[in-house]
Amino acid sequence: MSLAERLLIGRLRDRDPSAFEEIVRRYGDKVFNLVYRMLGNRHEAEDITQEVFITVFKTVDTFRGEAKFTTWLLRIAANQSKNRIKYLARRPTDSGDVEEAGGPAPGVAATPGPIAHGQIDGPDILLEAAELESLMQKAIASLDEEHRLLVILRDVEELSYQEIGEITGLPEGTIKSRLHRARMAIKEELDRNTK
Amino acid sequence: MDHQQAQDEFSDYVDGTLAQAARAELEQHLAVCIQCRTELAKFRQTLGSLGRLKQTAPPTLLTDVKQQIYRRSRGRFFAPRWKLFGRIPFEWISLATIIAMLVYYLAILHGSPTGVRPAP
Repeated sequence: MSLAERLLIGRLRDRDPSAFEEIVRRYGDKVFNLVYRMLGNRHEAEDITQEVFITVFKTVDTFRGEAKFTTWLLRIAANQSKNRIKYLARRPTDSGDVEEAGGPAPGVAATPGPIAHGQIDGPDILLEAAELESLMQKAIASLDEEHRLLVILRDVEELSYQEIGEITGLPEGTIKSRLHRARMAIKEELDRNTK
Repeated sequence: MDHQQAQDEFSDYVDGTLAQAARAELEQHLAVCIQCRTELAKFRQTLGSLGRLKQTAPPTLLTDVKQQIYRRSRGRFFAPRWKLFGRIPFEWISLATIIAMLVYYLAILHGSPTGVRPAP
């Protein structure tokens, strides 16, 4: 853990509101992206992202600094996402709370998707990008939560195998073999849906 | 090497973690197998698309989290620790309790009984 990170955590332990704001600003997108890809639903992702940061602030005294702060943060995000998936699976089916995979919730402006180049693209390109994102999200959602998490951590969040191991508690060999199966399953799913 | 064996190596090949000999064997197979070359291209394309999946957090995230914390802690979370009824110092209370119990135990262990005379 870097010195800057240690100082930031120290300020957070002292309940410094500016440290709290810095943490949310710095890691908000990373946590939200992970949770959103796990759940595939923007409203649920917003709730869980809030819960993740609240958990972090409540339990920061237990963070011993053995792992990187981001690893600890993403472990909390991954666990809360998996718990929510289990909770939603147990709940009676309510078609109203599942949005079209990859699409923004009603009333929520679409955020930059797979073609975020920092320029304005034509409507046909935007539509194509939105369709691709929707297909990708559906393919991710077709995986079970363990495989889904590995693909998101490695290929979406671009973490190293060591970081993934610290988050999931899995040995590197297991991560690699499961990740390969998950990647192939997504490729097959995309193949089926684009034929 | 058959198609299945070749495709089992795709992740290690793309990640650059495939051993030298296995890599050479796979590349030999790819040179003559159009089916596996096509599958590898699709595989790379899939990983590329996954890498571009970025969603930004809602702009209200910071405000929402702050409100939740203030509401749940009734404004005490960010209160100075020394403030009366601010944060309860559980760790100091626990330590004081343990020390008090230890002192009491030692007092009982080493204290001389008074008013009780041994029987003749």
